[in-house]
Amino acid sequence: MVNTEGQLYTIEGFAAALIMLMTAYLVVNATSIYTPGDTHISDMQLEVLGSDALAMINTAPNGTSESPLQTIVETNDGAMFGQIFNNIVNNRTNPGQDHIQFMANVSYVKSDNTVSSTTLLNKTRSLSGGEHAVRVSEWVIVEKKFPDSDSLRKRAVLVEVLLWRD
Amino acid sequence: MAGLNEDAQWIVLMGFLVSFSLFFLAMVLNQSVVVGQTTAEAVSEFPKDDIRGVRGVIIQSVYMDNPDRMGVQNDIRTLSLIRQNSVVSFSNTTNGAYTYIEIHYNNGVTAYNETWRSP
Repeated sequence: MVNTEGQLYTIEGFAAALIMLMTAYLVVNATSIYTPGDTHISDMQLEVLGSDALAMINTAPNGTSESPLQTIVETNDGAMFGQIFNNIVNNRTNPGQDHIQFMANVSYVKSDNTVSSTTLLNKTRSLSGGEHAVRVSEWVIVEKKFPDSDSLRKRAVLVEVLLWRD
Repeated sequence: MAGLNEDAQWIVLMGFLVSFSLFFLAMVLNQSVVVGQTTAEAVSEFPKDDIRGVRGVIIQSVYMDNPDRMGVQNDIRTLSLIRQNSVVSFSNTTNGAYTYIEIHYNNGVTAYNETWRSP
């Protein structure tokens, strides 16, 4: 029964099977096309950059005084925040600026235990909806009365920055 | 081809083997486009900065005086839940010269528990 005949029949059978499998594979794969944005590597880099920038702004020059971020939130100084944040994230060793755009909110708890947000810095460029924006946040303890909150007291607030590469 | 000419079957077979190995190499090349995707997703998903931030602010809050402390700690729990989608629970005890803080963090994907001891 076993001999060396019919090898070409086997080969043709294999070829036909593989052509069918390959077709199925290509058809199934055609629905998903990967672009570099889908790998989320740029999102990850942006998130790390933003978190580091916020951590830097929230570091007091010496151990006892307020950090720049605390002062910014207490005085609601969005312009100062924009300037410092822009300097950190958009500076490059090469000449020229990077093109990272951002906006900032401060979230706080009101007296009825609901959360409200106030704009610290308006977006530096309009969002078109196609951006891969990431959100980073930093806790700050400030002594502040928000317009619609109960009283002047120490409170933990969350500075949230949405940033995207233009 | 089969039945017409039975010569050179081994050459044809080897030709097939070579072409299939080329096909699989092309598939490997195709997959290399998405290299790093799962790594980047895992890094994006792990809330390292959220945990670090909430941990830092909890430790700060424990050293505050009442009534500031109660207000700040309530802020931490509420803001974590609503703005960071994470359940945060903590309590502190004093034992001798040390302050111990139990910190629990859970955002549904990552759970983090720590007992912090004052230096």
